[in-house]
Amino acid sequence: MVDVTQHELVPEHTILEDDELEDVLAEYDIKRTDLPKIKRADPALPNEAEVGDVIEVVRDSRTTDTAVVYRLVVE
Amino acid sequence: MNGEYTEYNPIDRFEHVDTDVSAVVEDTNLPRRLKTRVYKTIEDRDGVSIEHANDIAQAVESQYIDTRVDPLDPVGTVSAQSIGEPGTQMTMNTFHYAGVAEIDVTQGLPRLIELVDARKEPDTPMMTVHLDGEHATEREKAHEVVWKIEATRILALGDVSTNVADMAVQVDLNPETLEERWPTADSVEEVAEEIATTIEGQLGVDTIRKETVIQFGPEEPSYRDLLQLVEELREIVFKGIEEVSRVVIRKEELEDGNEEFVLYTEGSAFGDAIGIEGVDASRTTCNNIHEIFSNLGVEAARNAIINETMNTLEEQGLDDVNIRHLMLVADIMTNRGVIESIGRHGISGSKESVLARAAFEVTVSHLLDAAIHGEIDDLNGVTENVIVGKPIKLGTGDVDLRMGSHTGGGAAD
Repeated sequence: MVDVTQHELVPEHTILEDDELEDVLAEYDIKRTDLPKIKRADPALPNEAEVGDVIEVVRDSRTTDTAVVYRLVVE
Repeated sequence: MNGEYTEYNPIDRFEHVDTDVSAVVEDTNLPRRLKTRVYKTIEDRDGVSIEHANDIAQAVESQYIDTRVDPLDPVGTVSAQSIGEPGTQMTMNTFHYAGVAEIDVTQGLPRLIELVDARKEPDTPMMTVHLDGEHATEREKAHEVVWKIEATRILALGDVSTNVADMAVQVDLNPETLEERWPTADSVEEVAEEIATTIEGQLGVDTIRKETVIQFGPEEPSYRDLLQLVEELREIVFKGIEEVSRVVIRKEELEDGNEEFVLYTEGSAFGDAIGIEGVDASRTTCNNIHEIFSNLGVEAARNAIINETMNTLEEQGLDDVNIRHLMLVADIMTNRGVIESIGRHGISGSKESVLARAAFEVTVSHLLDAAIHGEIDDLNGVTENVIVGKPIKLGTGDVDLRMGSHTGGGAAD
């Protein structure tokens, strides 16, 4: 099968460790459920990602070098 | 130091950061993430003087504050206006894709509407197929891929005639076309046999083949069945992807000066196309954001929405629209992990407030539904507060200023 993570439209997705997650939530002063979502069935997700995990997405940004955003895995 | 981060100690984490440097950095208004990056920069330079550290920290802070959106800034409204105004200058309908021979693509306002409405199928679906290795550089190899993508139906392969006297359909295949479209096959015989087998499988008839002439007919002699068979025969796809009706091949110059072949298709089936041998699955794209979403995921869909909307504006010479507005639109459309449209079936229709929904479209039915279900409007948003005539909670509307009747002591008089 085609490896979609190699596609130029797909940024890097990694699972965020719990301690890093706490820093992120504290920085933005939000709850985990306030994050944007990503479906469990999303083809770009790492295989081991489970519902409730937070994914760190490192985008190539049009306005800066890279932009780091987070998405919560749902369903 | 910031109370939440008392555990974070830069002096322990970074060898070249001492108390003075850390005091300077911690004194800035930067978020933890950026402070850490400042430390890393200092670390990479094997430590800097205190003045130097101060310069770095100040420069980063002023840049950060400069580029930050002001609190309570209505970014959504600004984006809506910034896209809406150029939208009024767009053509109502233009076809013809600049540069690509004879492939028509919806452009201008209809295309923009199609994107923000998140239509399941664009009006004119197309793919841009990049090739890899020798397929990209050799014309013959590139053509092999073309025939794997473009749907080949019977009319492209030869002549179909009906013989009413014998109750038979006769297909006279053109040997040269067969050779051209099946470049990897050993002989024309083999291809003709494959076509005959496909016809048998698809139509459920027995065929008689004599070299490149295939003949078959309905079981019972019936004029209607005969015509029916011809109709069905025309629909059979012998090779390629059913959705793709045409492929245009173009030689394009790469950034490094080399040239490569790129295929443009009329019709799209992104999932099928990226699995084909010779197709570069890392650069091939299509203009259907739903196909991108289901094959590459929500982040790729977000990128595709930004690219497509920006390209649509650029084609119309409206490239001075700031990309951040389109990024905001794409962020909202993909926020819940799937593509949602802007509008009453998507974002605007799922708003919490009854009044905000009613203000958008189909006012009466929203109000009626809300009345039947006894909905309550908390008046938190912008639209509903405009309707009831209260200050909106944005900009200065959310800041309370109170003038005291007496001063707190020590007043000049």
